[in-house]
Amino acid sequence: MSDKHDDKRKVQVLVKEKTDFLPFIKFKEAELTVAGQSLNRTDDPLKVTGKLRFGADYSQEGFLHGKILRSPHPHALIKAIDTTKAEALEGVAAVLTAKDVRGRNGFGAIIPDQPVICSDKVRFIGDGVALVAAETEKIAHEALALIEVDYEPLPAVFDPRDAMKEDAPKIHEGGNLLSYDKLRKGDVDKGFERADVILERTYEVPFLEHAYMEPDVAMAIPQRDGTMLVEGPMQAPFTVRRNVAPVVGLPINKVRCRQIHMGGGFGGKEDSPIDLGCRAAVLAQHTGMPVRMALEREEVTIQTAKRHPMIMEVRIGAMKDGTLVAFQGVIYDEQGAYASLGPKIPPAGGSHVHSMVMMAGPYVIPNVKVDAYLCYTNHPYGGAMRGFGAPQVHIAHEQIMDELAAELGISPVEIRRKNAFQLGSETATGQVLDQSVGLRETLEACAKAFEWDRRFSETGYIDKERSKRRGVGVGMGWYRTSIGTGGDACGANVYVHEDGSVLLYTGITEMGQGAFTVLPQICAEELGVRLEDVRLVQPDTDLVPESGPTVGSRSTTLMGNAIIQAARQVKQSLTEAAAEILGVAPEQVEFRDRKVFDRDNPFSSVEFSKVAGRCMATGRRLVGQGWWTPPAASLDPETGQGNPYFVYTYSTHMAQVAVDVETGEVEVEYYVAAFDVGKAINPRALEGQIEGGVAMGLGYALMEEVVIREGVIQNTNLQNYLIPTTLDVPDINPIILEMPNQFGPYGAKGIGEMPNIPATPAILNAICNACGGRVRSLPADPEKVFWAIREAGGAPNK
Amino acid sequence: MPQAFEELHWRRDISLKDYLLPETLSQALQMLREYKGRARIIAGGTDVIVALRRCDYTVDALVDIGRVPGLGLIEQQGDNIVLGALVTHAQTEASALVREKAGLLATACGAVGSPQIRTIATVAGNLVSGQPAADASIPLLALDARVAVVSTDGERTVPLSDFFLDVGKTVVDPTREILTRIEFKALGSNQGGCSLRLSKRKALSLPMLVCSVVVTVDDAKNAITEAAIALGPVAPTPFRSRLVEDVVKGKPATLETLHEAAERAYAYCSPRDSLLRGSCDYRQEMVKVLVKRGLRRALEDAGCVL
Amino acid sequence: MSLNISFKLNGEAVEVAVEASTLLIDLVREKLGLTGTKAGCREGECGACTVLVDGKAYSSCLMPAIKVQGREVTTIEGLRKPDGSLHPLQEAFMDAGAAQCGFCTPGMIMNAAALLSNNPNPDEHEIRKALSGVLCRCTGYRKIVEAVKAAAAANQS
Repeated sequence: MSDKHDDKRKVQVLVKEKTDFLPFIKFKEAELTVAGQSLNRTDDPLKVTGKLRFGADYSQEGFLHGKILRSPHPHALIKAIDTTKAEALEGVAAVLTAKDVRGRNGFGAIIPDQPVICSDKVRFIGDGVALVAAETEKIAHEALALIEVDYEPLPAVFDPRDAMKEDAPKIHEGGNLLSYDKLRKGDVDKGFERADVILERTYEVPFLEHAYMEPDVAMAIPQRDGTMLVEGPMQAPFTVRRNVAPVVGLPINKVRCRQIHMGGGFGGKEDSPIDLGCRAAVLAQHTGMPVRMALEREEVTIQTAKRHPMIMEVRIGAMKDGTLVAFQGVIYDEQGAYASLGPKIPPAGGSHVHSMVMMAGPYVIPNVKVDAYLCYTNHPYGGAMRGFGAPQVHIAHEQIMDELAAELGISPVEIRRKNAFQLGSETATGQVLDQSVGLRETLEACAKAFEWDRRFSETGYIDKERSKRRGVGVGMGWYRTSIGTGGDACGANVYVHEDGSVLLYTGITEMGQGAFTVLPQICAEELGVRLEDVRLVQPDTDLVPESGPTVGSRSTTLMGNAIIQAARQVKQSLTEAAAEILGVAPEQVEFRDRKVFDRDNPFSSVEFSKVAGRCMATGRRLVGQGWWTPPAASLDPETGQGNPYFVYTYSTHMAQVAVDVETGEVEVEYYVAAFDVGKAINPRALEGQIEGGVAMGLGYALMEEVVIREGVIQNTNLQNYLIPTTLDVPDINPIILEMPNQFGPYGAKGIGEMPNIPATPAILNAICNACGGRVRSLPADPEKVFWAIREAGGAPNK
Repeated sequence: MPQAFEELHWRRDISLKDYLLPETLSQALQMLREYKGRARIIAGGTDVIVALRRCDYTVDALVDIGRVPGLGLIEQQGDNIVLGALVTHAQTEASALVREKAGLLATACGAVGSPQIRTIATVAGNLVSGQPAADASIPLLALDARVAVVSTDGERTVPLSDFFLDVGKTVVDPTREILTRIEFKALGSNQGGCSLRLSKRKALSLPMLVCSVVVTVDDAKNAITEAAIALGPVAPTPFRSRLVEDVVKGKPATLETLHEAAERAYAYCSPRDSLLRGSCDYRQEMVKVLVKRGLRRALEDAGCVL
Repeated sequence: MSLNISFKLNGEAVEVAVEASTLLIDLVREKLGLTGTKAGCREGECGACTVLVDGKAYSSCLMPAIKVQGREVTTIEGLRKPDGSLHPLQEAFMDAGAAQCGFCTPGMIMNAAALLSNNPNPDEHEIRKALSGVLCRCTGYRKIVEAVKAAAAANQS
């Protein structure tokens, strides 16, 4: 091609050797025309006009309404249930108890330990003891009130450390310690012996609510052929199917899960749709009628998963110059009543193991020891929430890094510069980071844009009454792409039609992150067509290949690769046909902008649609299937050593806050966040992920907490579960760096979860910098900041 | 402790048999009477609808006074500013009259909920709901407001300081009576006011603490002749901190006086621990801070130089 | 009790029977089939249910339907230019990437529409204040604020 072509911004050569073996995919070196562009989202026209239908917007005509009777006790035996009065109520179609579940009476994303309907005992307030289906929601609600349950309350346990005690009430048969994992690298005792300074701190974080704006809804619709159709907003249709099938006693091929556009998920809609889907399906199976089950906001809060609370004990040792030599961590990770996504899926899946792997931070530390305990309690259960165990441990390591820097008298940026991962670094699990490591670059880019040196030197009082102090803080982070399990894979189908239009089938769901734009962009790029030529099929387990869940910041990378493979399979036919038409060798053919060119003669081209038509007419294959799985994950169960995840995204955040030192109120005034994302497939959508993630991390830092006393949630609606408003979030400045990932489509790696992770500690560190108070138990609401200032002996004078 | 059924099993709709639309005040009162305690007044509805949804109380009918003429005025009558029962928080916040002559009320009304709530929620409704955190009640207490309450038995005027009885309970029986008017003296040239609010986020939040102050100073702007300090929610009802007012009365307008007032305010209040609003200890500390700041800004508003 | 009310909905006269307990959100969503108005909390906190009544933004989940008798209601479905094309706010939301999951988008746009009709050239703080009653969990609000600015600018030119 022309020189002009080559001079434009090139995607780096990402592969050392050309190979046909997975997972290496050779990407084109030419300029990208669709991928890499900030194109408008494909679903925007429906969203801005109110035409996009969410789960609750589908017609309820012909549906029964399902409701769940929840336990009023955090821990109790069920002695008897009397449903006769409820059954007698006019308009009630079914009142079901545990005996009515025909298949397996249990569901769960990893272990099916949560009863569809509890039979002998309840383990948290929110546990379902009976299901009702009725003609209207109102009747269903009235029926719930008529069900009589005789409970025998049991002693309950609400702290993971208490749960591990020998005499603790046993929540599940197998005991309360659901998982104990350990990481051993080097010799931590010797490391601490070498250290000039050793610090020990404990950090605590509460349960967090996802607070996706759309409350959950599921519909189960029995089909005439005996299959069960389950529809609803769901991040993981295949996981829902995997659970519904045994619960209703059907093989997997007789359960069909169809995803409806989600009004936010953030990990929460990974397992709440399993809960609602199974329960609606049981009611539908029993009544033979379509059943709709919708939760009100309060019910979402009471019943569904949360972010795990943790108590984290950290000990860190460093030399005088700031070089880290040892890190020891203990994690008391509270699972709550059911396993959800907490426990390990070998080798490195599950949120608990992820917390352990990430705990020492993105720093080179030769000696690391982490012990991580995951315990059942009688609280709501912890599930996946944007960062999957990583946000919690970042709050620990990023704060202790600042505390250590203060102890050593060096700047928070300097200590990170000294220890941050770079190409070739070895992580706490002994993984050598041999590619795509842009952490230090994010630190420098962020510091430059934020003007760290200036702002860091200008902290202090900002008003004449001397009540407000300004401060700055930094937070660094890393986050995996993929989920670290053996079965992490994505499949995609690409169908090209005779007019050149394309259908793309993937099981990756849209929840606002932009997958329905980014994935077709990759498909269009590879086929040399435009974004509007590719129609993405709404995920439906009857139609799309298994793709795993839409979690783990894996979609763009894993599915992107699968799409490229699928497209290339079709391109073989297209290439042959085009070569025939153009009268050149197949290697000479190039796809771009709805045309197929002779590489050496840009004036010789044929319309993509004509090429597709010729394939059709000549019986060539126009269906491609891609399947991509990342390099195998490994993690030794005894030492926690191995390569748990194949690539990481890196980030540095800097925040400026003003703290009212008399009241403890905090205002975040200015914010810069830099990311190494490998490659931005849609930079504007990626910025949206960053800005939204920072806001979520800000909420975690300053205001969010599911307040629970004796198992009872005190803030079930959004009036008291506080998430940031327009007035709480500053103007956020995102910076995108691209250090290509050799295993990613055009170099991409994951971004979905990373942005909220360093935001929380960056703000906490800024608060401490401003007022001297260190809040080690979140959230840093005005009261906590106030007492932290008191504890520090008052705000600094000057 | 088992949790209540209503708190565990939500249904989306409210339960109501009738919705009545009187054209006059006497019609409205008559309707209430006919329902014998099973009907309640609705104006903006932001509190009533939420309460019905949460089953805080149940009624058979709502009597919507939205069409009753004459209840929507904000005007000065002599020395007084009068707000009708239908005046919303947004109207109060935006009113040039209120901003100029009772700025603390405009400030407080502007901090309630969100723009959509302020557009419809009435100040009178905020009072009748009787919540200890009711934003508008605190500045109105500091302004020595009075309210007119009518029933089929006639009209009575109640000083706001006698109005609040307990959490959610006021002298107005909402199944029988209507609060028609709020009245208070416009601030004079020797007066200043201020309303401060502490909350966990910057919009859409219930306050942890509201403190409203009105001061009267001598002509030379050197001494405090009168002070009104209202606080909430630190007790079951919004209240006037008379003991602190007495402390500052007659004192010079100086920082020392502010500090003394703040220390006294701290000593004289004992809020309860709240899981969502903060501990007693913290809010007691905050009373100190907000009283000091409130007095300072009110004095500055009155023209004092501190 | 069932009562007939008549009002203007998105420019067209509507007469419909409602119950005493019917809230405006359920009237528009269920009875009238306009599901663009969303229910996120039903307590006036999330703002996703915002509609315009006589040009002002209201939380439809807190409003008895009977209250709109004789008034003019606009939902997201009725927001458009007189010629039927997209409202500048809708265009701006797409171009700025202001919608992510899209659940709050109708509430955001309706509040922004109420703002721009009163204040055609708002500054950033005015925009943030006007939108402070709509919660968004996806965007961090930056692109939403940008979109409102862009729409205001488009209106001016």
